[in-house]
Amino acid sequence: MNLGTLAVKNVLRNKTRTIMTVVAVAVALVAFILLQTVLTAWTAAADAAAKDRIASRHKVSWVMSLPLKYVSDIEQVPGVQKAAPFVWFGGKDPNHEDEFFATIAVDPPKFLEVYDEIQVEPAEREEWLQNRRGALVGDVIAKKLGWKVGDKVTIVGQIYGGDWEFHVSGIYTAKRRSVDRSTLWFHWDYLNESLSGRRKDQVGWIVARIDDPGRSAEISKAIDAKFEERDIQTLTMSERALQTSFLGMVSAVLKALNVVSFVILLIMVLILGNTVAMGVRERTNEYGVLRAIGFMPKHIVAFVLGEAVTIGALGAIVGIALSYPMVERGLGRFIEENMGSYFPYFRIAPSTLVTAAVLAMALGLVAAAIPAFRASKLDVVDSLRRVG
Amino acid sequence: MSDDAKDEAPSDEESGSGNGSAGPPIIELKGIGKTYYRGKERLDVLKDLDLTIAEGSFEALMGPSGSGKSTLLNLIAGLDTASTGTIRVAGADLNAMSDGERAKWRASTIGFVFQTYNLMPVLTALENVELPLLLTNLGSAERKTRAKTALKVVGLEDRMDHHPRQLSGGQEQRVTIARAIVTDPKIIVADEPTGDLDRENADEILNLLDKLNQEFNKTIVMVTHDPAAADRATQLRQLDKGALK
Repeated sequence: MNLGTLAVKNVLRNKTRTIMTVVAVAVALVAFILLQTVLTAWTAAADAAAKDRIASRHKVSWVMSLPLKYVSDIEQVPGVQKAAPFVWFGGKDPNHEDEFFATIAVDPPKFLEVYDEIQVEPAEREEWLQNRRGALVGDVIAKKLGWKVGDKVTIVGQIYGGDWEFHVSGIYTAKRRSVDRSTLWFHWDYLNESLSGRRKDQVGWIVARIDDPGRSAEISKAIDAKFEERDIQTLTMSERALQTSFLGMVSAVLKALNVVSFVILLIMVLILGNTVAMGVRERTNEYGVLRAIGFMPKHIVAFVLGEAVTIGALGAIVGIALSYPMVERGLGRFIEENMGSYFPYFRIAPSTLVTAAVLAMALGLVAAAIPAFRASKLDVVDSLRRVG
Repeated sequence: MSDDAKDEAPSDEESGSGNGSAGPPIIELKGIGKTYYRGKERLDVLKDLDLTIAEGSFEALMGPSGSGKSTLLNLIAGLDTASTGTIRVAGADLNAMSDGERAKWRASTIGFVFQTYNLMPVLTALENVELPLLLTNLGSAERKTRAKTALKVVGLEDRMDHHPRQLSGGQEQRVTIARAIVTDPKIIVADEPTGDLDRENADEILNLLDKLNQEFNKTIVMVTHDPAAADRATQLRQLDKGALK
């Protein structure tokens, strides 16, 4: 037996109360882990962004377009290997009105060169490059909507009105999490040939692959400088900054989720603190006995804190044991398949589990701090007078 | 033991008598007063009390409720401090010690026996007895050996793996006594040790205290309401309204 044995044994003294508290801590941790996973999943694309890609957009806003000529202009900037144009099409499958997925017009050869993490069968790749109405579809959305290679699909344009017919040329996966596997990519030419006037020969943004990731800021500056004297200026940023700027639109939601996850932990502290305080109150007489036979206030503090940390650790074990399989064996895949545009990769980060476990025990200490302090300050004679 | 304690021989009235092993003073209280305040109300529980107890004696403190018996016991045991006067126990000036120093001193010098046993319900008899040894530098095996020896002294070697709820009141009190002697203290203070026991079990406990006094030369100070318990003591002291009669 050692001093820790008494703390651990005290935890198991009132089994019902301990189990209820451990379950409460575990449930709070599951909620914390899930909310934190939402946050990490949401920012996963930005975290996995390629360091050797930079993106240029209209200096004023995303919704304003750039002239097509800027693509070749950017390719002439020293350090740029290749540039690819993108246009947000904003289409919907009329058979799946509620299903959101990105539809983006690209220059296929340039796109595949700049985004070389896209993986597609060679024959399908060739078919897409050759077929003006071909579409390259992410495996997640294809599986969800039941699309197969060779299918004809009709997409209703939200920004560029009308029904647009595509042939599914290929289905892609990706080597990197920065690429959403729920997107439909199609030929920019197909879109452009139907446009006239000021909408013709325009692109939404341009992504360039650069030869030295260490010069990303310098090359971005050079690109923006190139267009400084023109009617339309650019704002160039790293791919990570690009992804982050998309997230900026939902930053308030993300912040709210983060706050809520910590509020949940605060509730956990209160529950744990209440349990520990009840235990201390019930054991006042025992602490008096311990003090009488020579234990010091620091020992009493250690007993109380040890008890709280043990409950926190048990709650962490149960919480992690519940949340990990929940996400890895069901929820994660379900979210990736059904909400892939938002959460292309919904898995618990190891750092989230470590954070949850450490917080559970650390907050156990916080929760027990006041009861422990009070227990250590108990008058020995008064404590011995208390019964039960 | 301090020089002061050695120099001052107890008088017949003050020291234990009838015990052949009673020696020099081990407990000396001079001019002790203890005052509590309940709001503005002043409560003088002990008044200018002098007491000397010889080493190896078995003393019983009796008196009506509220006479100050337990308060006096708490002062002797170093659980409380006097408002006035000096307390020297086993050579230590208790009033001059800090809380921490008194705690260390109690761990090595005093064994406690309470009326309601006060065992840790989550620990076995052996673990309860081992508890005070956790404050020493002894290794686990040595602690266990000593705890087993203490349980053997009180005749409970066959109950060491039992939890308090699996023991009778008398057995629980014997475990408490084993816990009190496991550190080999000079003094055992017992507050109503037979208060919750029937006659048969009470006699067993008193026999045990007798044994500790006679065979192990422990100084025993016992507060009791039980005349039969007081009869076992070698010295009976009556306390009334905070003063020794």
